[in-house]
Amino acid sequence: MKTEILHKKLERYLNGESMPAEIRQIQTWLSVPNEEEKQLTKEEKDQLGADILAEIKEATAYPLFYPGSEKQWWQKAVAAFF
Amino acid sequence: MSRNFSTDQQLIDQLLQNDTVAFEELYRRYWHNLYSYSLKKLHSSDDARKIVRKIFVDLWERRHTTPSDFSISQHLYSHVRMAVVECLNERLNNAADQELIAETLLNSFSTKALEPARRPVELRNEGETVFLNQRVQADEVHPKYNPFSVKWLAELVSVKTHS
Repeated sequence: MKTEILHKKLERYLNGESMPAEIRQIQTWLSVPNEEEKQLTKEEKDQLGADILAEIKEATAYPLFYPGSEKQWWQKAVAAFF
Repeated sequence: MSRNFSTDQQLIDQLLQNDTVAFEELYRRYWHNLYSYSLKKLHSSDDARKIVRKIFVDLWERRHTTPSDFSISQHLYSHVRMAVVECLNERLNNAADQELIAETLLNSFSTKALEPARRPVELRNEGETVFLNQRVQADEVHPKYNPFSVKWLAELVSVKTHS
């Protein structure tokens, strides 16, 4: 298959205009297990998770509008105790 | 298991009250599975990162419009699949990306590459079986945390079939 054909198939899929066989092909591709990519170390994974969360915070600005959601130290201590 | 464990549904209820701690807990539970799935499909860490960010920004922005029977795992499952297709389609608009896609991704749409999804588990090759076994073992440890687990997918299919 050429990239142009794949592009047209994906366009039709996103517009809800696919033929049943095309839907099956794309959904099978989405479901088929792929080979594992290079595993991240724990440090790399933690760093990546923190970086993406920082980008989400920047995009939504939720820490600015809802700064009080974080529990106070005494609330955490009570929750841990009980 | 921690005594402070909250179910996904409890976290969603807290999210509706603008609880950012609940939001970040949901993020911690699911971001890596979404990232890993997108990376395997698109072979691009930048795209995988973009997809995770988009899904969670949308979850936060649209938290007040979630339906009463909202299931976070179903929501993430359907959104990551759609986001992967959208991203691939976007990349195909770019002439420079088309060559790279032809080299790395095009083959994964071939009948031969899609065949494993149609074969029964016992006929799959060793690598895939190991993959599935690892998935099942992962399910035993964190059944609730793995949105792409075999059990989770089976439950989802069962729910859809019944509905």
